[in-house]
Amino acid sequence: MILSCRDIHKSFGGIRAIDGCTFTVEKKRITAIIGPNGSGKTTMFNVISKLIKPDSGTIDFNGRDVTGLKDYELARLGISRTFQDVKLFQNLTIREHLQIAMSDSNEKLLSSIIKGKNRDSQNIQEVMDLVGLDKTFDTYATDLSYGQRKLLDLAIAIAKPHSLLMLDEPVAGVNPRLRSSIKEILRELNSRGESILLIEHDMNFVMDLVDHIFVMDAGRVIAEGAPQEIQNNPCVLEAYLGGSEEESECWK
Amino acid sequence: MSLLAQSIINGLITGSIYALVAAGYSLIYSTNNFMHFAHGISVVAAGYMVYWLFTLAGTPFYATCLITILLSALFGLAMYRLIYLPLQRRGSSNVILLIASIGILIFFQNIIQIAFGSGVKLIGYIEVSRGIAFPGGITMTVLQIVILLISGIIFIMLYQFMQKTKLGRNMRAVSNNKELASIVGIDHIRISDFSFLIGSALAGVAGILVALEQNLSPLMGTNLMIKGFTGAVIGGINYVPGSIIGSFVLGMAENLGILVLPSGYKDAIAFSLLFLFLLFKPNGILGKKEGRFDK
Amino acid sequence: MIFSAYQTHIFILIFIYIILVVSLNLALGYTGLLNLGHVAFFGIGAYTSALLALEGLTYIAAMIAAGLFASVFGYLLVIATDRLRGDYLAMATLGFSFVVYSLLLNLRDVTRGAMGIPGIPKPTILDFTIRTNDQYLIFVLLVCAISVFIMYRIVNSPFGKLLEATRDNAVCLRVLGKNTLSLKYKAMMISAFFAGISGSLYAHYITFIDPTSFYISELILVLTIVIVGGLGSIKGSIVATALIIYIPEVLRMLDLPSSVLGPARQAIYAVILITILMIRPKGLFGKVDLE
Ligand SMILES: Nc1ncnc2c1ncn2[C@@H]1O[C@H](COP(=O)(O)OP(=O)(O)O)[C@@H](O)[C@H]1O
Ligand SMILES: [Mg+2]
Repeated sequence: MILSCRDIHKSFGGIRAIDGCTFTVEKKRITAIIGPNGSGKTTMFNVISKLIKPDSGTIDFNGRDVTGLKDYELARLGISRTFQDVKLFQNLTIREHLQIAMSDSNEKLLSSIIKGKNRDSQNIQEVMDLVGLDKTFDTYATDLSYGQRKLLDLAIAIAKPHSLLMLDEPVAGVNPRLRSSIKEILRELNSRGESILLIEHDMNFVMDLVDHIFVMDAGRVIAEGAPQEIQNNPCVLEAYLGGSEEESECWK
Repeated sequence: MSLLAQSIINGLITGSIYALVAAGYSLIYSTNNFMHFAHGISVVAAGYMVYWLFTLAGTPFYATCLITILLSALFGLAMYRLIYLPLQRRGSSNVILLIASIGILIFFQNIIQIAFGSGVKLIGYIEVSRGIAFPGGITMTVLQIVILLISGIIFIMLYQFMQKTKLGRNMRAVSNNKELASIVGIDHIRISDFSFLIGSALAGVAGILVALEQNLSPLMGTNLMIKGFTGAVIGGINYVPGSIIGSFVLGMAENLGILVLPSGYKDAIAFSLLFLFLLFKPNGILGKKEGRFDK
Repeated sequence: MIFSAYQTHIFILIFIYIILVVSLNLALGYTGLLNLGHVAFFGIGAYTSALLALEGLTYIAAMIAAGLFASVFGYLLVIATDRLRGDYLAMATLGFSFVVYSLLLNLRDVTRGAMGIPGIPKPTILDFTIRTNDQYLIFVLLVCAISVFIMYRIVNSPFGKLLEATRDNAVCLRVLGKNTLSLKYKAMMISAFFAGISGSLYAHYITFIDPTSFYISELILVLTIVIVGGLGSIKGSIVATALIIYIPEVLRMLDLPSSVLGPARQAIYAVILITILMIRPKGLFGKVDLE
């Protein structure tokens, strides 16, 4: 077990975005959170990575209670994540992005001034090869296409030292060819022993990729299991097709 | 005791000038959502207009006042149409608008200085400097009583206008919710035009009263602006009645404060209040909208 | 003597302002820290250095102390205003400079208030006292070169890239495990430090300071230069400082009385500022917009 969330609640004004969400992610597996739009998947990611403070609930990471940590402290403990809407630094190059991600020395001013520019390219080349982003390192983030930005975002998350990789809709809005190549990247990472937690909107994408699925609806987990079990679970279909809470057996 | 009472009265008088500045400023802010810092120079320009028309050119006093208020209103409109609106149309952020408005203030401050010199000017319309004694050991000059009356009347008129007329209601609608207001078909630019006209007319009134009560100096715009702005922040910058009340609070705080501090600290009291409110209560005592950003 | 006395004077001012403007650019342009109170650091530096030197401290020590004292205020400003955004942050930082201004005006026992501080000694470095303006020019050139070099190294180092990343997307940077608050206050402290240094150079050059030298009209000048040069460009700041300090000097040819000259110069700065905001807010060499 690498990550465990217990009974998380979070409301925005009147909207109960997360309503008692509980789940556990195992090491060295690919785990997916699926669920319809607005079911609270992204909010859950933000709660886990401390960008949003939950109203209640606790989070354990690598056997340690991390509930009270700040966002950057948690990141240093080894959580790497991407955003659904790709977030990059507009005025930095690919090289600079990856160097920032790789460096664990944080804001050391003096040594940084004395050493000057960091020209190390070895590790950068490795990550670029892994995600298959074929661009010169001095390309600015703003000069990349959407698909390339998605890949760079993934590369940053991989490059950052971590023990859990959290990806928010890594294939949203990308073309089918890139979709399958991202799928291969994730398989490759997993075969190297990475633990991955990903959010996906599309059930079909995850079926032949992941080991375990959590289905979220209305801010909580309504079903979990191996992909086949999920595929045959009537509650899941209902969540996607929009059944009402009261009549459903799934809410007990 | 009488010292305290006198300080409270002085606080009311100072507060009413600040409140006139703040009311116009926050009317403009609430409908446009950017900081029109150059509002301070509208007040000073009006003061110099009075000096020029009345003291130098000998125009009858009431005609001077009318012309001044009218020109102030147009001055405000011109700033909106010639500077702010073009900036907004090219997608400038609010911070850019604020910096531009500081630029406008500095520009006209120096133009006034070139035109009239940096020395102080006296209007000399109401000569009576001897105060009238009231029970409780309070003295007020005629002018001070006039200032209190006029500002009181103006605030009531402003309130009636905002509550009772269609234009006033539309302004409040825009200040409450821009998107909704434009959905129901309120023309935002027209509302902005009027907010600058009316807000700057109020600056004109403030300028006339300031000119009568104090010596005019080209550099007083920044200070007046900070005071009006501070009053607005204390009360709630996007809520006109709030900013009027906040200005009176500021006037009181200054005048009561110098009972215990050296009188030079008057401005320091205001600046410190401004800073403290921005940090700890940026929406003021009565304001509504969120100015803070919590993740 | 290579330049006329007047040219020497202008060059000295240009070098002093280059430090001030580049230091503002480091915070505003590179780190995205909106700061309308930068002249307060300049003033704090000028007063600190002048008062310490009058107490008999050696010049270099007074200058460093000026930088350090200013940077303490830089730290406090970031910590205090970290939760504010946009207009409110702008007004709070502007308010900060008003507070400093009114303190300079009212702490009369220390600052002599509106009377200002006359007779600030010219710098003495290792037994050598700078007397002529030519010597001062060489001295400010040296300090300016060192300061700009250090700031150039900072913005081009990995640390500098973290500052730019903070500006571009602080959330994303925190998720990568960087403490953006610490980056912000470090940037502001560096910025304030060099503003303090330039304040010290200014005070000991003019030899008289009063609070009005560190108020809103001074703010307009540095903001104009930074924006004209371009946010996030040291080269732009240097070119723009030279340009903008020089431009109003053509007024001197008109033979205006000095009571008009000062205000006319201010008015020109304001016009340049508004014009650049309206036609090219990115400035000459800038890459980022003012959010
Ligand atoms: N910052 C926010 N403020 C208000 N409501 C929010 C915010 N973030 C998310 N929500 C709401 O929370 C719910 C869950 O959103 P989200 O987690 O983005 O869903 P998903 O990622 O599953 O599509 C939605 O109803 C959304 O509108
Ligand atoms: Mg989502």
